[in-house]
Order: sequence, then structure tokens, then C-alpha cells
Amino acid sequence: MRMLALLRKELADERQNLALFVPTLIVGFVAVLLPVLVAVIIPYVAGERLSDSSDFEVAVEMYRNQPATRGLDPEAAVQAYLFQFFAVMLVLIPVTAAMSIAAHSVVGEKQARSLEPLLVTPITTFELLGAKVLGAFVPSIILTAVYFVIYVLAAALFAHPGVAWVLFGPRTAGTVFILGPLAALAALQMAVCVSSRVNDARTAQQIGVLVILPIAGLLIGQLAGAIQLTVTFIAWITLGLLVINAGLMRVAITLFDRETILTRWR
Amino acid sequence: MSTQALTAQHLTRHFGDRVAVEDVSFELEPGRIFALLGPNGAGKTTTLRMLAGLIAPTSGSVRIGSEAMTPGAAPRLRERIGFLTEAPGLWDNLTVHDNLKVYAQLYRMRDAEKAVTEALALFEIADRSRDRTARLSKGLKQRVALARAIVHRPSIVLLDEPTAGLDPESARDVRELIVAMRSEGRAVLLCTHNLDEVERVADRVAVLRSRLVAIGTPTELRQRLFTSRLRIHVSQDAGSFADSLRASGVNDVRADGTWLSLSEGTLTTPQIVRMLVDAGAGIEAVERDEPSLEDVYLKLLNPDGASR
Repeated sequence: MRMLALLRKELADERQNLALFVPTLIVGFVAVLLPVLVAVIIPYVAGERLSDSSDFEVAVEMYRNQPATRGLDPEAAVQAYLFQFFAVMLVLIPVTAAMSIAAHSVVGEKQARSLEPLLVTPITTFELLGAKVLGAFVPSIILTAVYFVIYVLAAALFAHPGVAWVLFGPRTAGTVFILGPLAALAALQMAVCVSSRVNDARTAQQIGVLVILPIAGLLIGQLAGAIQLTVTFIAWITLGLLVINAGLMRVAITLFDRETILTRWR
Repeated sequence: MSTQALTAQHLTRHFGDRVAVEDVSFELEPGRIFALLGPNGAGKTTTLRMLAGLIAPTSGSVRIGSEAMTPGAAPRLRERIGFLTEAPGLWDNLTVHDNLKVYAQLYRMRDAEKAVTEALALFEIADRSRDRTARLSKGLKQRVALARAIVHRPSIVLLDEPTAGLDPESARDVRELIVAMRSEGRAVLLCTHNLDEVERVADRVAVLRSRLVAIGTPTELRQRLFTSRLRIHVSQDAGSFADSLRASGVNDVRADGTWLSLSEGTLTTPQIVRMLVDAGAGIEAVERDEPSLEDVYLKLLNPDGASR
């Protein structure tokens, strides 16, 4: 009940501050644009088929071996590979949104000096932290879902038939809907922790950006052929993120203790 | 069963090696305003936070009614406390109504909407209820913060610098609201630097400088520190009457033009006036020379430096 009251306040506050979502909208736009550009527009403009290039032989071979994608023609297989490859970019959407909202929420409370009156109420540390986390997490996941729909629609509209269906497979869906939320949770918890030590939302976001580095690493690793984002690999990352999130939650709960906020926060 | 709304006993709080508050004891009574005075860094805010159960004392205890403020009991006991923090701390993107409603819900009021309506009416801000608080003046923000502090109808209200930074008119409005809280039977603790404010509204005063330097009613503190003096305006030169009073055994008589100033000692005011009339003085005015609370405060904090 109390968590819900505070969560509603967080969401109302965000609705009044839509500029918070601008970085996320830009990241989402780039995430959708890149596969369309690389898999559809550039080959079309160049008048070449991707499947003719030796660079994508592995992709074609890989897709021939998977039952769900066996029916795709070679060009569709390469496009499916590229759309799956760039789906990692969709993970940046919840991460960016969560970091931006969480940093604004905590630093905003500090700047407005609205935390102390809140701490006087009977609200518990868990309820306070829960409302802050959910207030950043819920819009992040909604935005991710919206962008995933746009991503699939882009594949359906611009790529070969069958490519869009591939995106509903465990690889892409797992990347977007398991890794994405877990990475967002880690990012927002990091932003919450950092925000307790700084008085500027941008500083908190800049430190929180560290979470983006492993995601960029995944993208580059795939590009270099060092990493194959298989279901097993996704499961291992999920496990790692769960451990990281549990650790961050412990730190966040300690930082959100009343006495800590009033005597140690700067 | 305790009749005190709140009892602080030997409260002490250390931050590392620094002692912020040491051995502070006092009570808050229902329907009374208790003022806590002290210079910056005297430990006023730390004391308020301990009273509200926000930070734990290093030693000592706080009781709300007859119940001890323990970490386990604090969330429940805080429902009986309203706290106005030094800054209004409103959510600027929300309306006045929504600011209050969230708090009413946080206190789990059965009818949050009714509680908000009542608070808006009491503080005469119903006409601004749909305005975002970012658009309000400083005085109105403080009004909203006060309304928020009592939206859950607490029996104890802790006010940290409620008129700091307000213009005189807004400060007067806020003072009236504080007096209204007393009329409703709430126990009010007023933490302030504003001695004039304390003079106007407080029933009891404590001066804090890490430790309690003094505690009592303003009159008690005056009597404790200053000898009561009379000022008498006569129609002639006061010098000659000063000599006749001294001759009659009145101590510490001073004359300045047509004014006499003297310690009453064992004689009553009518007896002194009678002596002057008998000596041929025309009495224009008689008034008690009351030291201001500022004099009392300065003398308490600096016993060697302050003089009258």
C-alpha cells in the first residue's frame, strides 16, 4: 500500500519530466535503425546480396542447422542473423532508461530535500527502495517491450519473409526480456547507490554508464566472432547478473537505511 | 500512565569523536509549545531527529506517551509525530493536493481524501490545491509543508525553523498556524533562532548548546538571570528623588533625566510610588523593565560577555 502510493508518485513525477526519456528514445531509434540499415538498406543501395558475400557464410550455415530457421532462403538467413546480432542493442534501452530515471529520482529528492520528510513517515527501507526501483524499472520494461515490437515490425516490413518470426526465438527474446531487465536492474541499482554519494544526476549517470561496457563488449565480441550468443551463454550471463543484482541490492538496502541517509549521504 | 506527550531522557549522540548532543532531558506537554533555542551547530536538528526516531541516540531514551522509541516501535510511533523539516521538501512536479495525498496514504489514513481536504481547509490553501508546488511562493510552500506535517493528525508536532527565510507577513501567518496547533491540543516543539517568535508563542523554552544550558518558562529564565527593575517617569529632575530613595533604603537607584531606574528589593511598587509622591514627585509613568528574551539568551550562552 505504502510502496504503491510512493510508486504512483514516482510515475506521476516522471510523466511531468518527459525529458528524462530522451536518451532512451534516441538509443531505441538507433537500435532499430542499425539492423535495417545494415541488413536491408545498404545491400539494396549497393545492389548486392548479403548471402553472396563470403563474410556471412558462417551465418547461412548456422541457420541451416537450426530447425526454426532451416526454411529461410540464404538472404533471409543472413538478415535474420543480423537482426538477432543487433538485438543486443535493445538491452541498452532498459539500461539507459533505468539509469536515467533512478539517478534523477534519488538526486532529485536530495536536491529538493524531500527525503527527510519522507523518512519521518512509517515507510520501511524496503518499501522506499522498492518504490524507487520499480519507479525506474517499470517504465524501462514498458519502453523495451514497445521497442521490441517496433524492432519486429521493422523486420516484418523491410526484411525477407520469415525473418521477423526468428526474433521470437529464445535467443532474441532471452536477450531482450531476460538480459535486458536484469541489466536494467543492475544499472538502476548502481545509479541508486552512486546517487547517494553525489549531488548531480549526470555524475550518477556517468558512473552508471559502466554497466553499458559489458553490453558493448557482447556486441564487439559477436562482431569479432569471439562470442556466440547461444542460449547456454545467455543462461550463464543471466546467472552472473542475478549474483551482481543480489550484491547491489544488499548495498542499496544498507545505503537506504534512515540513519545512513541522514548522517552519511552528501 | 504518562501525561507527557513526549519525554526525552539523557539524550546523547556522538558522531565519531564529535559530541553533537549530550545529556539532554525535557518533556513535551499536550496543548503547549516548547521552544528549543540554540546557535548553529548546537544540536537542535540532531535532537529533533532523535525525537522522531530517525536516528538512534548513542545513549538516553525517547518515550512517546508511555512507550519507548525503539527501532521496532519507531515506525508505529512515528504515526503520532508530525515533523516539519528545515526545508519544505515538497515534490515540485506534483500538485499541492497530490503532495498531501501521498503522505496521507503513507500514513495509511482510512480516508486519505478527507484528510487532505481537512488539511487544505485548515491551512487555507484549498484554492491552490491543483497548483504544482513549484509555482508556489516560499510562504505558501511552508504552509503546504505544515499541512503535510499534520495531515495524519499527529498528537506531537516537531517544527525545525518553521519561519526561516519567510517575509514578515508569511512568518506571522505561520506563527498563527503554530498557535492553532496548540489550541487543538497538540504538543508542539519549535526549533528556532527567532527569539521574537519564541517570545510570542512559546510556553516553555530550552537553550541548547550540545547540552541544555537552561530550561523553563520565559519569565522563569528572566527571573533567574536578571533582577527585576522598575522604571519611573517623574515630571521633575529625577536626580533629587534618587537621593531620597537611597536615604529610605532603596538599593541600586539610577537617575537619567526625568527617569528613575531601581531594583525593587523588598519594597513593593506601591510603596516606592508612595515614597516618591511624599517627596513631592509628580509621577508620569511606572513600568517594569523586562529584559528581552534575547538578553536572556545571550547571557545564557555567554555569561561573562552579556550585560545590561
